[in-house]
Amino acid sequence: MKKFLAIVLAAVMALSMVSFASASSLAGEYEIKVWVADAIVDLTEAQIKRFNETNEDGITFKATIEKMGEGDAASNMVQDVEAGADIYCFAQDQLSRLLTAKALAKLGTKAAEFVTANYDADSAKSVTVDGTMYAYPLTADNGYFMYYDKSVIPDEDVDSLEKLIEDCEKAGKYFSFDLKNVWYSAGFFFGDAGCTSTWVMDADGNAKGVVDNFNSDKGLIALKGMKKLLDSDCWNSSSEVSAFESNSAIVVSGTWGSSTAKQILGDNLGVADLPSYDIDGTAYHIGSFFGFKLMGIKPQEDPVKNAALNKLAQFLTGKECSLERHASNGWGPANLEAQADEAVLNDPILAAVYAQKAYGQVQLAISGAWWNIGNVIADEAKDATDEEGLKQVLVNYENKINESLKLDANALLFVGAWNGWNNADEADTYYFKDGALTLDVPESDYMGGRIVKPADWGTDKGFAQVTTGAELIKDLGADNPDNNIVFAEPGNYTVTWDGTAITIVKN
Amino acid sequence: MSESSMKRHMGLRASRTLGNTLIYILLITISAIWLIPFFCIVLQSFRVESTWQVGYVMPKVWGLDNYRKLFSSDFTRWYTNTFIISVFTALFQTVIVLCMSYTLSRFRFKMRKPLMRFMLILGFFPGMLTMIILYRVLKDLGLTQANAVPGLILVYIASSGMGYYVSKGFFDTIPKSLDEAARVDGATRFQVLKKIILPLSKPIVIYTVLTAFMGPWGDYVFARYISFGASAGMNVAVGLYNWLTPDQINNNYTMFCAGGVLVAIPVTLLFLFLQKYYVEGVTGGAVKG
Amino acid sequence: MAQLSDLEYLKLSKGRRLGYKVGRFFAKIPQATLNAFQRIGGALKSGVTAIGREAKDIVTTFVNGDWKTKLSYLVMGFGCLARGQILRGLLFLLFEIVFIGYMILSGAYWLSMMPSLGKVGPTETYDEIYDAYVHTYNDNSFQILLYSVLTIFFIIAFIYTWRVNIRQNKEAERILAAGKRLKSSKEDLHSMVDESFHKTLLSLPLTGIIIFTVLPLIFMILVAFTNYDGAHDGYISNLFHWVGLDNFNTLFSWKSASGTQSYAATFGEILSWTLMWAFFATFTNYFLGMFVAMAINKKGIKGKKLWRTILVMTIAIPQFISLLYVSKMFAKDGIVNGALMSLGWIDKALPFWEDATWARVSVILINIWIGIPYLMLMATGILMNIPADLYESARIDGANPWQQYTKITLPYMLFITGPYLLTSFIGNINNFNVIFLLTGGAPTNPAASSASGSVGYTDLLITWLFKISTGAESKYYLASVIGIMVFVVVSIIALIVYNLLPSIKNEEDFQ
Repeated sequence: MKKFLAIVLAAVMALSMVSFASASSLAGEYEIKVWVADAIVDLTEAQIKRFNETNEDGITFKATIEKMGEGDAASNMVQDVEAGADIYCFAQDQLSRLLTAKALAKLGTKAAEFVTANYDADSAKSVTVDGTMYAYPLTADNGYFMYYDKSVIPDEDVDSLEKLIEDCEKAGKYFSFDLKNVWYSAGFFFGDAGCTSTWVMDADGNAKGVVDNFNSDKGLIALKGMKKLLDSDCWNSSSEVSAFESNSAIVVSGTWGSSTAKQILGDNLGVADLPSYDIDGTAYHIGSFFGFKLMGIKPQEDPVKNAALNKLAQFLTGKECSLERHASNGWGPANLEAQADEAVLNDPILAAVYAQKAYGQVQLAISGAWWNIGNVIADEAKDATDEEGLKQVLVNYENKINESLKLDANALLFVGAWNGWNNADEADTYYFKDGALTLDVPESDYMGGRIVKPADWGTDKGFAQVTTGAELIKDLGADNPDNNIVFAEPGNYTVTWDGTAITIVKN
Repeated sequence: MSESSMKRHMGLRASRTLGNTLIYILLITISAIWLIPFFCIVLQSFRVESTWQVGYVMPKVWGLDNYRKLFSSDFTRWYTNTFIISVFTALFQTVIVLCMSYTLSRFRFKMRKPLMRFMLILGFFPGMLTMIILYRVLKDLGLTQANAVPGLILVYIASSGMGYYVSKGFFDTIPKSLDEAARVDGATRFQVLKKIILPLSKPIVIYTVLTAFMGPWGDYVFARYISFGASAGMNVAVGLYNWLTPDQINNNYTMFCAGGVLVAIPVTLLFLFLQKYYVEGVTGGAVKG
Repeated sequence: MAQLSDLEYLKLSKGRRLGYKVGRFFAKIPQATLNAFQRIGGALKSGVTAIGREAKDIVTTFVNGDWKTKLSYLVMGFGCLARGQILRGLLFLLFEIVFIGYMILSGAYWLSMMPSLGKVGPTETYDEIYDAYVHTYNDNSFQILLYSVLTIFFIIAFIYTWRVNIRQNKEAERILAAGKRLKSSKEDLHSMVDESFHKTLLSLPLTGIIIFTVLPLIFMILVAFTNYDGAHDGYISNLFHWVGLDNFNTLFSWKSASGTQSYAATFGEILSWTLMWAFFATFTNYFLGMFVAMAINKKGIKGKKLWRTILVMTIAIPQFISLLYVSKMFAKDGIVNGALMSLGWIDKALPFWEDATWARVSVILINIWIGIPYLMLMATGILMNIPADLYESARIDGANPWQQYTKITLPYMLFITGPYLLTSFIGNINNFNVIFLLTGGAPTNPAASSASGSVGYTDLLITWLFKISTGAESKYYLASVIGIMVFVVVSIIALIVYNLLPSIKNEEDFQ
């Protein structure tokens, strides 16, 4: 009898939950904190008000909106996630830091589908870490290009770094390019020089590995190009368009400076993609990062509030709101429908951004450490006196990356082959540090993998050694003729390495 | 007066005049160097033609636009906050510092030396270290972000007892025989403090009030940490500093300068009128670290 | 260097005398350091004997005491109540009740959690109905650490009060045995403004210091032994745990993976610049400030108040405004370089903030701009206190101004402001504002900068500490270790100076 009652009760509860969910269950009033940039505070307030009036779920937000620049949001969230904003805008480079602090709620399955369907494909990639999406793309315009003063720089010179430097030096003007910030200086490596730096992050914002070939012949070419500007008297490390007022003829900056630049230079304002530099007779176009601004939601203890906040984020990053921001502040939308709008297509500043994007690297999640490592490249290269010195800059850079990955000498790496292991984007690697590792083996053609111990972690970085073919660990047991581990069936395994032999236990 | 001594006298006077002229030149140069930044800031605050940083000093168009905008922004809020913090801090901090320094100067009790040594050693720790924990403590009390004003007051005054050195030095210079005479006449310790010491302590009281009042106007790091992300709880330093972040500097730089001028006014005025006491307080006290 | 007798000393030439003095100063350092350590050792020893004495007294009081005293060991304040000192007794009793209540309700929990700093971390589950991730937050390492420290404070306070309670019983028995009367509650209250007035005066300031300075400091020292950072904030991201001396090993190991500069080397570099900065910042300000004060105070100079007021403006205007502006003035495209170039004095911008040496000299020079007014005000007062007849008699003896300065003014100033020099040296070691606002540490020191943060040539230990705790990885534990090291450095300096400078030690001589 008791059992019967329990079953009935459970059935009733399940039924009630289903009906609860199918009804418009988000209705209610929510108090939220919102952080957006100074420029869109009033606009966002109006947009939230409109959301309250128009949404069909009966959601009402009582929002406290605070000014918070996209660059500062992360450092403020990290200080105290609990007291931080429920919904906030941030620049893409802060993503891993926010993950580390667990300041971003994962998007649910449907929400992730929504992002894939409605936003710029690159921007959708940029919010994805380890297969999970963490935010809604707000803008797709966070790149940099060149503003210049037409009264100093002839239009025909804008393609050549050497000519630009000459023009500036002749006129006694500055060439402002914030190379002390790797966000800008990496451009030299990304363009025609052809380097990449692609990080693989996990859900905790830790770097699992990186494919980075700055320390190579290509990187040396890039550095030589950068050195030309570093050594000239006209280089000024700034990205503020207001530098035009203090004797700059060129400023490398982004869309956010456009209105100020127009006010200062008026008809003399020129906008162009970045120039090329010449090394041994070949012209290399300077590349850039192409980044995004994102809108994130703080993890919530209440799923209903989380769902309601998702609705708001979808609304705020949707077509209508994106176009309003474009009209008032010139922000380039990430929303596909908004991108197709006439006003956006005909925007000359955005045209320069997209022209430069052809040479750019789409900015994905990057290890927070990389910014610190890369920011010193320019300073170090400026002090270098010869080619050996420049090479040393790149060696130092690589050493610091290795250190940041904390690859200790005795550690091993497990490389799962189920997605193929010749490509860093595909292979699944697991860092094998304390002797044991649990991993999920998916159903696939080849459910195997290798444990590798590179001869020297100093030159192999996480994933990179997969492609450079590191030495395999010998002696994995008689039933592993290929020195590979093969799993009999998909599932969750614990792999233990005691220094000489491997034990595999299915959980 | 003999001829030789006459000559010597004139020579002395000539060298003194020369010396004084040199000193005047020096003082004028120093004053110029000292004032240039302030003039620049004041001039920027009257610039109308642009709102960002520029490479020239003289505004091309003069006007009060920046001040007008200032009063319609959150600045008034921040200014009020800071003023409230300053007044309360000045009040309580003075009481606390005087209690502390008077006791340590006048009473001889067993724990006196160890106490002074302990506080000296406490001061060797960089105070910034405690910022994170103070934030959490204040958060548990509900005194952060929008409610940061009472929180800041609490923290400023709570540790102010450690800054007793200068005023203790001042009390040390008041002869003890005064107290003893009063004690012999049957006055309690409290009456001695009220009737005899306090009336003599005007300079040090004013000095303490002045320094305590000035402190909160310039505190950025700690105040930002406590009031983070909530404009309603910010002081002027935090609020104005936010105008220098990349997304705001081009729109708000001249307003920042105007805000700076308004912040400087009350403190400068106080200093102008109370300078005499400041000098008396600091020399009576600072000589004894 | 052997000490010379007065006669031998006077035989030396001027240069030799100076050499002798400097030599003696350094020769005394080892002895002074030794003395300092001996003093610490002595203090420890007397501490141990004091505890032994207390324990003995507690036992003998119990054995010799009457039943009221004996019961007071269990019920605090019972003796006072039984002997008619109602107010005291009630306060004791109330304290005991509050203490026991607190310990049962929460103190015991915090203490039990202290060894682990939390067992259940945050969790995350997917809620299919709402397509949302649900988070639950459980134990909070930060709170556990904070409240267990607080609880320990409370326990110490309780033990102390309990001890006082016993001592008062003994005292009361003695007074009654001598046939005298105990103090009434009214008299107790009155003593608060008379013989115990110092306790009344100190209670408020000391409470503030204990809660808002001592407690946080102990907490932060403990943090140096945990892995508290951005990824382990103790509540939202992950719990944090005790890690023993790992963090000290990190800071002090010279080895570093992958051929990058170790923390120990970086620490050494920053420490040496910090000391250099503190030395120059203190003494340039001191001597130049004194010089300006003397110039203004010189007889026959008019407008003394005006000159002072002009200089004092730098104090009145908050540093975050003036220093930020000055920093921009000296930038590569700032107005100083602009003006110098348009005057034709230079054809290339001066690297005020770009070159390590330039930047270091620049911050010291600009610091003079900030510091002189304070020194000027102070020196003004002190100089006026120097008896004028000293100068008069010196002049009669034919001393020139330089001799008057070195024989009268300087010794007098140095004697009186010795302690001030020490505190200002320590203040400069921790001078966050000037460096943070002027350079932010720039220019970058590429070798010392690592993945966890950039380090600049003008960074002091305190700005480095700040960068580490607010940087990308928020390494609070490392910041805490650095903070402890700052303390150690400052203490060593202070101990040495303390033993060398007489005017700090003999505070009574001075009154």
